[in-house]
Amino acid sequence: MPDVLLIEDIADNAQLVKRVLASQGYNVAWAETAEAGLSQAQSSLPDLVLLDLGLPDIDGQTLVGYLRAVPGLEQTPIIAVTAWPEETGRAMVTAYGCNGYISKPIDVLAFIKTVNSFFPAS
Amino acid sequence: MTSTAQTTITQADPEMRLLPASQFTIEQLTAAYNQTRVDYLVPMPMNAARLAAYVRVYDVDMDHSWVAVDGETVLGLAMLGVRPGRTWVTRLGVLPNRRRRGAGEALVRALLESTRALGRPLAILEVIKGNQPAHELFLKVGFRETRELLVMRRPPGPPAGAYAAACSASWLEKEEALDLLCASPVRPAWTNEMETYINAGDAQGLHVDLPAGAVGEGGRGWLVFRRQKYTLSHFVLHTEAGSPALVAAALAARLYERFPQMDSYIENLPAADPHLPALLNAGFMEVFRRIEMQRS
Repeated sequence: MPDVLLIEDIADNAQLVKRVLASQGYNVAWAETAEAGLSQAQSSLPDLVLLDLGLPDIDGQTLVGYLRAVPGLEQTPIIAVTAWPEETGRAMVTAYGCNGYISKPIDVLAFIKTVNSFFPAS
Repeated sequence: MTSTAQTTITQADPEMRLLPASQFTIEQLTAAYNQTRVDYLVPMPMNAARLAAYVRVYDVDMDHSWVAVDGETVLGLAMLGVRPGRTWVTRLGVLPNRRRRGAGEALVRALLESTRALGRPLAILEVIKGNQPAHELFLKVGFRETRELLVMRRPPGPPAGAYAAACSASWLEKEEALDLLCASPVRPAWTNEMETYINAGDAQGLHVDLPAGAVGEGGRGWLVFRRQKYTLSHFVLHTEAGSPALVAAALAARLYERFPQMDSYIENLPAADPHLPALLNAGFMEVFRRIEMQRS
């Protein structure tokens, strides 16, 4: 099953996402900070990254560029998960080169549908 | 935490006390700040290192910043930047389930009392446009609107403008950049004042000269910014001669010719800044607005 890297600073949000994705058969690794997420991404080359834009050490938007610069992650789907107001959030995500957008708080069914859409053969 | 020092400000919640932020660790303050902002209009979480840098760079005085507590529970906090002649109200927040009970107003009034005690005649703040409860609170305690400020971002990428080749550019180190800021006729927001760049220690500058004939009537101007580990930020632009649009386009073109891989954000650019259209053309996008307010 696909490996998903979740970069999210709020533990309750991370637990929810891990539980939901595990129920769908995904392998989920969790990084609590941007720097930890970048390090894990470099070492594990996940199949998909779920990225909270509001991280406490480095903004998620900034992190996208560093993730894209990792050899092997140039084309990896990055889905932004954010509490930004939707219009601004979607515009930023598009500008920064993310592949998807999920609003917080997450709608579980819509969340699963969005993640699954990146793995049509699974 | 200890409770030896506290304010005498009347509070709506009889169980609430205000303690100086200096009685708390930066980790405690970070946790409190993040808890008060969990549902904030614009997500802005911080870790302890980031908050410590914020305190240092923006001259936050922890002895004159306040934390509202009920027993051992932190209800909210508010910080005060202190510079000659003025203070700056910042990081105000109250736990979502303890709002509308007077904690926010008590914190702001404590900062204003600190401002008076420090002999500063002017208090400044910025409130995010759309944060109506905070805006109304600041009006209630006597702040008045002065202008709108923009927060903008630009993803990494090469320059979009076509003026780079037509202008000569000089890169300036910190001291030269600070000299330029001294010459700016526009009062910057607190985040972009001279003291910020001195404290941060990472200021750089760029001066461009567009010869007449090469690009219309030519022009001359400069940009001062902070070069941080992952970002370029805190832009201040000034046109010495010619069109601000052309000068800003040339500055952006030269900047991203040199730093195409850097993410950028602009803090608190005045909405009336004449360089704004060129920045938008260079790939910046507005992400939110703040209303600057003053009380004297």
